[in-house]
Amino acid sequence: MELIIQKNYFFNKLKKILSMFFNDKLALFSIIFLSFMVFLALFGPSLINESFTKMNLRLRNLEPFSFEHHFMYFFGADALGRSMIARLIIATQNTMFIAASAVVLSMTLGGMLGLVSGYFGGKTGNLIMRIADIIMSFPSLLLAVIVLYMFDPGLLNLVLVLAFTRMPIYMRTARAEVLEIRERLFVSAAISMGASNTRIIFKHIAPLTIPTLITIATLDFAFVMLGESALSFLGVGIQPPEVTWGLMVAQGRNYLQLAWWLAFFPGLIIMLVALSLNLFSSWLRIVLDPRQRWRLQNIGDKNE
Amino acid sequence: MSKYLSKRILSSLLAVAGLFVMVFFLARLTGDPGHLYLPIDAPVEVRKEFSEKHGFNDPIYIQFGRFLEDLSEGNLGYSLRKERPAIDIVLEAIPVTLSLAAVAMTIALLGAILIGSLAAYKPNGLFDRISRVVSLTAASAPDFWLAITAILIFSVSLGWLPTSGIGGFPYWIMPIAILVIRPLGLLVQVVRGSMITALSSDFVKTARAKGVKESKVIFKHALRNGLLPVITVAGDQAAAIANGAVIVETIFGWPGIGKLMIDSIMQRDFAVVQASILITAIVILSINIIIDIAYAILDPRIRHK
Amino acid sequence: MKIKSLSLAISSAAIMAFGSFLSPAYSAGKDITIVIAEEPDIVDPCEATRSVVGKIVKQNVAETLTEINPDDGSVTPRLATSWKQTDNLTWEFNIRKGIKFHDGEDLNAKSVVKSINRALNPKYDCEIRTKFFGNIKLKASAIGNHTISVKTETPQPIMPAMMGTMTIVSPNTQEAKGVRNPKGTGPYLFNTWTPGQSVTLKRFDGYWGDKPEVENATYVWRNESAVRAAMVKTGEADIAASIGVQDANDPKMDFSYFNSETSRLRIDITRAPLNDIRVRKAMNLAVDLDGLTGTIFPKGVVKMTQIVVPSINGHNPNLKPWPYNPAEAKKLVKAAKADGVPVDKEIVLIGRLGIYPNSTEAMEAIHAMLTEVGFNIKIKMMETAGWLNFLSRPYAEDRGPALQQSQHDNNNGDAVFSMFNKYACKGAQSTTCDKQVDAWIKEATAATGDKRRDTWRKAQKKLHQEIIPDIQMFHMVGFSRVNPRIKFTPTISTNSEIQISQVKFN
Repeated sequence: MELIIQKNYFFNKLKKILSMFFNDKLALFSIIFLSFMVFLALFGPSLINESFTKMNLRLRNLEPFSFEHHFMYFFGADALGRSMIARLIIATQNTMFIAASAVVLSMTLGGMLGLVSGYFGGKTGNLIMRIADIIMSFPSLLLAVIVLYMFDPGLLNLVLVLAFTRMPIYMRTARAEVLEIRERLFVSAAISMGASNTRIIFKHIAPLTIPTLITIATLDFAFVMLGESALSFLGVGIQPPEVTWGLMVAQGRNYLQLAWWLAFFPGLIIMLVALSLNLFSSWLRIVLDPRQRWRLQNIGDKNE
Repeated sequence: MSKYLSKRILSSLLAVAGLFVMVFFLARLTGDPGHLYLPIDAPVEVRKEFSEKHGFNDPIYIQFGRFLEDLSEGNLGYSLRKERPAIDIVLEAIPVTLSLAAVAMTIALLGAILIGSLAAYKPNGLFDRISRVVSLTAASAPDFWLAITAILIFSVSLGWLPTSGIGGFPYWIMPIAILVIRPLGLLVQVVRGSMITALSSDFVKTARAKGVKESKVIFKHALRNGLLPVITVAGDQAAAIANGAVIVETIFGWPGIGKLMIDSIMQRDFAVVQASILITAIVILSINIIIDIAYAILDPRIRHK
Repeated sequence: MKIKSLSLAISSAAIMAFGSFLSPAYSAGKDITIVIAEEPDIVDPCEATRSVVGKIVKQNVAETLTEINPDDGSVTPRLATSWKQTDNLTWEFNIRKGIKFHDGEDLNAKSVVKSINRALNPKYDCEIRTKFFGNIKLKASAIGNHTISVKTETPQPIMPAMMGTMTIVSPNTQEAKGVRNPKGTGPYLFNTWTPGQSVTLKRFDGYWGDKPEVENATYVWRNESAVRAAMVKTGEADIAASIGVQDANDPKMDFSYFNSETSRLRIDITRAPLNDIRVRKAMNLAVDLDGLTGTIFPKGVVKMTQIVVPSINGHNPNLKPWPYNPAEAKKLVKAAKADGVPVDKEIVLIGRLGIYPNSTEAMEAIHAMLTEVGFNIKIKMMETAGWLNFLSRPYAEDRGPALQQSQHDNNNGDAVFSMFNKYACKGAQSTTCDKQVDAWIKEATAATGDKRRDTWRKAQKKLHQEIIPDIQMFHMVGFSRVNPRIKFTPTISTNSEIQISQVKFN
């Protein structure tokens, strides 16, 4: 008897979540798109025939939207005659890895430091904020040049540079949120009930800061991709033959009149990924907030 | 309040000092500036002589000692490339960037508050979705792409605006438009998120129950509390512009601090690197202090802590 | 004082912000605007050998003693009317009479000597000294009112050509490098320099030569080639001295010209497998230069056979460029491998971003072509500072085999400005050491006339056919865009100087 109730419970819960999905078509498209991107990142490169990524000077700067060539050339070819579609797929892995790692790293570290700073205040809090100030004032380019000089250029170093320079915004935002939340009634209630600091921070306060941090993070994803693009353009980011969307955008910079598709398609993909992430996170925010959830639910359906 | 302010300023100054020292040592890890300064064909003896003359061969702590000595005399370093004191060069560049940043951030902030609040009013409604897609698209577009395309369309094809350069009002339109897009996009999202939370909070419900006019509810009650994260992000964005509206400065030929910093880093002109980081740090830290003060003003609960 | 300048700066920014409506600065009448790629960091004529300074100052504000004819490299008079070598170590130059500097001082032997000493003062690092006169001990003295003698410790047979770099400035000029208001003898006065924005030159009515047509010239700078090209198209500028090939799409306005640059990949001959001549031959045979022309490199580039362009004295016209023969290359690689040469060892291809347009694509193309014939290549693109580290001596002891993307320009009329540094045993960027080539370089440097030219040619031949120290690529072309309202033709010197007196109106 219990098992049946449990099975029904999960089944209904799943139905509820799915219905909330379908009620927000934009979010649905976003998650499909994002899953596709993840799929490409993991399996894309192995699915492409090598010939499309080989240099072919006869097809240099081939224009897109022509039906005369293989469908892989539908988005055109780059300055060395390589298929744009193939290059974009190969770049997915590097780009997603760099951007995701950098954003997750900076959000987690920055968020935690901000929480600590806002909650405890005092000398520690101050010190953390001054560190944020210093990081904000240190130009990311200089840091990238230094890292490049001292260590070998590599994906990991690039991730560290990007994560490091983006940390302050999470630190400061988390702190600002904590300052406000800390004053609320339920927090003083928890304190008077004897809850430990760790419990208060992680169970009560942190969850409330996450929505804003995620909002920032999803847009930050795009900014990190574009920041990496700027560094690669100056030669302190990704090294060929490795490729990211950001590098493709940077390399297309000189060809905006002659071959606009070189910078356009990678830029478009960056925008679509940022858009999807944001739509998805927005949906998530509504779903997770009990006071907002009604907007996505089918009220008036048969009772559970 | 003044006690808080003076303590804050003091700790910021310490941060600046720490930053300065860090930059001094770290920058010198990036190689011998003589290589870049002298022509490729310069004979080996000329190179040796150059390094000797400017003390690049000395151990780093000696170089640092000399630097501190100069500092005590008020000398922030001399640009080898431009044959001028570094501070002069930086002080010429910073007002350009500051004016760009101030105008762009004002427009972005006001626009974001307006659009974001309206979007938050009916989350997932039509206005919300449209404004979200448009602002996100614009915010994640590569800025050099926007800039060059804008020049090609508005200057070359249509002839409405000058291509580039500093001057009167028409010269500002494209650079400011490009600079506004990213902070606007980000801030609209932050305002929206913040306002959604604020609008469903208890005191807003109370205000509505009391019959307060809707616009007052949004702009007076909800906004006040929703603004904290917004001004944080706005400050970060302002600092980002101050640190370098590089693309705009490069493409439109505005001699600001962003371009100066990049060029001097690439050319290893250490004096200018240090001076520009110093001035930029002062600007950024001042922005942060102002924001902290704004927290206290906006949220009485924080003020009384 | 600093606070004052800060507040001045802030208030001027405010004024800028709410400034009155100014129409774009279109040049009108007899004024022109020239847009270049970067702002000059200084305008001191003793740095006029640097292209960014020379484009503004050289022959416009300050003139040189002699001038190199861009078409054939011959030395022609400018401020010096004639010259002769009185003995092995001494040259005499006769100075043109009746010329005054912009500040009223006379051009005579005394002022010329003072200017030469200033440029060569070891206390200051004028590029004229560090690039051209570096090692030479020289004493200049006035003999009479309008003749100077230049005495050196070692014979300098091309002293007249070297004086083509020596800009002459007024004796009132400050001794230290960095004068911001240079006074020379040229057809244009240095008028204003608004830091970050523009430099203006104004026609000098007391000029000794023909009166030029242009009255005022304004130099502005924009990093992006697309913007420079756009400025000429809209009429905001009249000359864009150098634009990228992808922006040179208007045959009515755009010119291509040899810019005296030669691009190659330097081979580090000292490291295996690059020390095997079959490997070096194979690398040259593996590169499809025709395939690269008109695609990654613009149409009009010429395949190189040696480091100097055809108009330079010492160029050997009898050498043939390498053919494209990947089959032969593969055979050579196989043969070397069979003899135990480690052809599979990873060879680093050091590139420099932006060294010429499409530099990264060029390296990726070379990578593909070399890999095709059996090499193991890894690309390392760097920014200038990093690249410079690998370029010049001292080289790292533990370095592996490397190819380095480089470009060299020599529009000073003689091969001596290239050969020592690139190919002599002690040359600053040389990785080869051949006793015979060294001897010829030394011989040619001290020789004159036919003997000089023929010795250079012998050296070029041996390098091309027997030593093979580089993967040879192209003599490069540049592109300019010129507004149809003026007449201006770029030459091989356009990279280093833009003589406004040569600009005429249509």
